[in-house]
Amino acid sequence: MTPAPGAADPRPRLLEVRNLRKLFPIRKGFLRRVVGHVRAVDGVTFHVERGETLALVGESGCGKTTTSRCVLRAVTPTAGEILFRTTEDTVLDVATLPRRQLRPLRRQMQMIFQDPFSSLNPRRTLLDIVAEPLVANRVGTRAERVERVAELLRLVGLRPEYMRRYPHAFSGGQRQRVGIARALALSPRLVVADEPVSALDVSVQAQILNLMLDLQAKLGLTYLFVAHDLSVVKHVSDRVAVMYVGQIVEMAETEPLYAAPRHPYTEALLSAVPKPDPRSRAQRIVLEGEVADPAHPPSGCYFHPRCAYVVDRCRVETPALEPVAPGHFVACHRARDLTLRGISSPPRPGSLDTSHRRDP
Amino acid sequence: MTRPILTASSAAVANDRPLLEVRDLRTYFFQDEGTVRAVDGAGLSVYAGKTLGIVGESGCGKSVTARSILRIVERPGRLVSGEILLRRNGTVTDLARLDAGGREMRQVRGGDIALIFQEPMTSFSPVHTVGSQMIETIRLHQRLDKTAAREKAIEMFRLVGIPRPERRVDEYAFQLSGGLRQRAMIALALSCAPRILIADEPTTALDVTTQAQILELLVRLQRREGMAIILITHNLGVVAEMCDEVAVMYLGRVVEQGSVDAIFHEPRHPYTRALLRSIPSIHAPVRTRLPTIAGSVPHPYNRPPGCPFHPRCPDFMPGRCDQAEPALLPVGRGQHAACFLYEGVRP
Repeated sequence: MTPAPGAADPRPRLLEVRNLRKLFPIRKGFLRRVVGHVRAVDGVTFHVERGETLALVGESGCGKTTTSRCVLRAVTPTAGEILFRTTEDTVLDVATLPRRQLRPLRRQMQMIFQDPFSSLNPRRTLLDIVAEPLVANRVGTRAERVERVAELLRLVGLRPEYMRRYPHAFSGGQRQRVGIARALALSPRLVVADEPVSALDVSVQAQILNLMLDLQAKLGLTYLFVAHDLSVVKHVSDRVAVMYVGQIVEMAETEPLYAAPRHPYTEALLSAVPKPDPRSRAQRIVLEGEVADPAHPPSGCYFHPRCAYVVDRCRVETPALEPVAPGHFVACHRARDLTLRGISSPPRPGSLDTSHRRDP
Repeated sequence: MTRPILTASSAAVANDRPLLEVRDLRTYFFQDEGTVRAVDGAGLSVYAGKTLGIVGESGCGKSVTARSILRIVERPGRLVSGEILLRRNGTVTDLARLDAGGREMRQVRGGDIALIFQEPMTSFSPVHTVGSQMIETIRLHQRLDKTAAREKAIEMFRLVGIPRPERRVDEYAFQLSGGLRQRAMIALALSCAPRILIADEPTTALDVTTQAQILELLVRLQRREGMAIILITHNLGVVAEMCDEVAVMYLGRVVEQGSVDAIFHEPRHPYTRALLRSIPSIHAPVRTRLPTIAGSVPHPYNRPPGCPFHPRCPDFMPGRCDQAEPALLPVGRGQHAACFLYEGVRP
């Protein structure tokens, strides 16, 4: 059931997720009886290669965050395998590992949070915050930890002299840098970043995205990048997996996915992104209705009630995620006969772009 | 406090005149730690049937500007000076001089100018049905009995594309999804046929596909009703798709204003330029670094002297930009910028 044949794999797989499922029970009544399940993650299979960035994208409730939480074992999955290659080059299944053995593994996977205001303890200094993972894992003496924190702060572009200050003295962008420094304290192999820039101002977003790209190049990090903003995702990802109601509907390298999407949902998602150029006021594809309820998903393909290309087969038969091109996987019955609209890459609007100017 | 300015002869050109004109608006927040000049000399013009976008990063004063127009600035905030001229029925009213809690201002609110908020969950009462909140609003502004007001509410729900409106009116806000809630909010705002709709980040809390639905709806309703929209957002993509005119704000001031095409294709102010370059674009090549603006928006207590953007500005001129504040001057056809680079340059 593993997609992506390993034949032409240049990089070893750091993470391999197979048939991941996470159901949350819905309880009702006095006895809190289970009356149904929310299928937050409903059979997700993907892998992440060493040193790459895989983005999980989708709208709220699509299961992207739950998937990333399962990878970190912050929530225990209902079923499926999460195979992680450790620094000792052994492969462990994070999904079923006992707590005791999980702990050393956690040093190798860290997380960057969305909100830099609530994810830093206001009563602790930057030194305490960034050194916390070191203390928790009993790494180094106090003097060594101070040295390491200084090094980390420099790495993320903050001045080490600031380490005795408290988070309130810093702006949102600087706080997110602190969060990144903390995530990197134990030199993890995998960094899960859940919407790391969506709480930041536009001008600061760019700084943090650049920092993440630089750190990846410098430290050889692997990112699992969870985001809803497709513009942001394009700036950081090697590959993208699009999720809809707990399932991956399309997964491919970034450029082909944006330029020539093969799933109607990806097409609609790309078209819905407002383009920052008044001259390309595109014909938006406006999807009717709303995202399906993961507690009561529709029959067949979950996307069929909103799909413009729906045929009878879609209403009864659930499509599987299958390759349509090397490295390009789509879960759609009509993937081979549809030609969908993607995003071209024209020059950016802006003052420096003289080719784009109007004639006087 | 209404002063008639328009005479019969000038009423013919009333369409070229702004429905709403904000001049040199200043709203300060007086706190123990100091005074925050949230809006510090902002000027705007709003025309019928057009959409004005107000863009800027957090703390630039865009939301406070909207709240000042409606006179709903909360203490310790106070409208310090400026004019807010609303043109209606051939007269001009300065909203800045009205009693914020008075009868006339209450008629303007919801009647002439309506507001939709970013978070539709917190803007509805959780203990009343959405329908009853609408009926209340409708009856405050129009002479209708309860049955007629209810009919009107259902009609508005249908207009904004809420399915099965006769059932939805009896539901509570928490029973509606984010998209439906925002539609209900729009229905509520439009129920008294305002001529100006202020939309403060109307789609920020929504997913992209829902956002597309709501933007589409606003465009359709604007065409139908001919109302003016003031769209407040930090999303430059939304601005590019929706607006006719754009005002870029930075630390309480409008630093550049012009047509949407001029702002995106011939931006003049260094801040506008830098902002446009730094936004992640879906058209960009995969995995590319973005040009950034150095530093971050200063804390409002530590407002830099002179031009508020000078510490981050690539075109900073020592001895000039840090000494005086540049005024908003014309730099092109209908385009204005507040920057010393264009001082003495004839457009």
